[in-house]
Amino acid sequence: MQSVPAALPRRRHPFGKDARLAYLFLSPILLVLIGLVAYPFFSAISLSLQDKMVGAPGTFVGLQNYLTLLRDAIFQKTVVNTFIYTVLGVVLKAILGMIIALVINEEIRARNLMRALCFLPWAFPTLIVALNWKWIYEGTQAGLLNMLLYESGLVSTYVRWLSDVNLALFSVIAAMVWQGTPFYAMMFLAGMQAIPKELYEAAEVDGASIFQRFFKITLPSLTNVIIITMLLSTIWTANNLEFVYILTGGGPNYATHIFPTLSYEIAISSRRLGLGATVPLMFLPILVVIILVLTRRMLEEE
Amino acid sequence: MAAERRKGARLKKRITYAVLSVLLIWSLLPVYWMVVTSLKSNRDIYNQPGLLPLAPVLTHYRVTLFDTHFLTFMRNSFLVAVTTTAASIVIGSLAAYAITRLHFVGRRWVARSIIFVYLVPPALLFIPLFAVVYTLGLADTVYSLMLTYLTFTVPFCTWLLIGYFKTIPAEIAEAALVDGCGPAGTLWRIIVPLALPAMAVVALFSYTLSWNEFLYAMVFVGSDSQKTITVGLAGLIMGDVFMWGQLMAAAVMGSLPAVLIYAVSQRWVVGGLAVGGVKG
Repeated sequence: MQSVPAALPRRRHPFGKDARLAYLFLSPILLVLIGLVAYPFFSAISLSLQDKMVGAPGTFVGLQNYLTLLRDAIFQKTVVNTFIYTVLGVVLKAILGMIIALVINEEIRARNLMRALCFLPWAFPTLIVALNWKWIYEGTQAGLLNMLLYESGLVSTYVRWLSDVNLALFSVIAAMVWQGTPFYAMMFLAGMQAIPKELYEAAEVDGASIFQRFFKITLPSLTNVIIITMLLSTIWTANNLEFVYILTGGGPNYATHIFPTLSYEIAISSRRLGLGATVPLMFLPILVVIILVLTRRMLEEE
Repeated sequence: MAAERRKGARLKKRITYAVLSVLLIWSLLPVYWMVVTSLKSNRDIYNQPGLLPLAPVLTHYRVTLFDTHFLTFMRNSFLVAVTTTAASIVIGSLAAYAITRLHFVGRRWVARSIIFVYLVPPALLFIPLFAVVYTLGLADTVYSLMLTYLTFTVPFCTWLLIGYFKTIPAEIAEAALVDGCGPAGTLWRIIVPLALPAMAVVALFSYTLSWNEFLYAMVFVGSDSQKTITVGLAGLIMGDVFMWGQLMAAAVMGSLPAVLIYAVSQRWVVGGLAVGGVKG
């Protein structure tokens, strides 16, 4: 190929000097971004304004779907569940992830192996983790958790982890935290390793305690990493449907439905595409705010 | 004072190891349980609950491998993951090169929209993408997944590759340009060879993302001949009787490709993640 800068005469380039080649190189990604993300996104909005069943033409109904959902008791419950699921999940993962990162960051024996083992849950497909936890939560002596609790005398009747209305959501959260924590630990650990050692040495000379060092040096240095990690994870946690779908299917009595599972149930199981597409769009304002903040911070980090 | 500090250090060490032990049990016990269950006979699973398989059997593995669609599911997952990853690396490298090395109007805007798209969750897109797949005549085929998985692998690979390409000194690329390589030649002969190890890591991540995907696969594909491993496994539990031994055998084998990749690449995981972020 001819060298493009040389081939072009030295005149002004309204779109930049490599514009032609750049747009050529970018054309495949733009095709993906526009055809497979932007177009479906706007078509989701258009669907949400229609009463549309699978295989039938839709009729325009304005904001009817949004109003239907807002008045719907199941949707209201879903909003509360999604909020608890996401906030509790993200906070627990952050705390646990920080503990793992702090321990791995110490000079421990076989550090690389320990790190690999602690991060192992992250490597499993989410669906398989959900399946495994369904089995762990089995409501008889065959279930790992009931077996351990019963044998050690902590409970006298088997716990119905997934079918007890008051317990189910927290059981689902625990399984999700198990898999999601290593990501936090990895991000925090990478952040910790970038903190200059001298800071800690100086603090030690000054007689700072472990806690002082953590709160005065480690935590402040990690602020940006912690924010990025928690925001990323908020999006992924709220939008992940595997755990709820496999563990409880949204039950018992809608106690664990979160918006992706509700959206799936309405759009695919009940074939009401318009109403189903509206469910995640209800959360769009929050999503947009998170994405805008994240994009800015991630570009800063670069 | 010194003795006190040494005592403090010893205490700290003890606490560290105690916490580490708890963390290891928390991380490993569920995995161990999955493996143990897969090795127990159906009778033992319910009648001999316990942490050890007293009479280990490989029945579940044999049945899963030869009497179910398991191998078809695995092949489909593999085909989808390889195709999507290869396409994403090519598309991503071209885009990352343009964004890091070429001068054109709209550069920042493109970089920004790539992150933006990466953050748009599948839960928002699966319903309209279902319509796209249907219109293209790809419904109920693995091709629908090869196409739609690009929505997350492409921005993901591009974002990581931008980070890696930036670390290649500008002088090297400029020298190649002066020597008459041309931008395309510079990408192919200079940047790609230098970024090859990084590209391999990005490819592994992308492969894992595809391998683990569930939502699109569940919505777009229905026939056993086209299902990937995640949907195939989910299909097994939707019946009334849960065959836990067999399910866990399938789960162990279905996890292996992702876990092996993790074992190989985990030393890069921390560094690689710092640039992008994979899943959580």
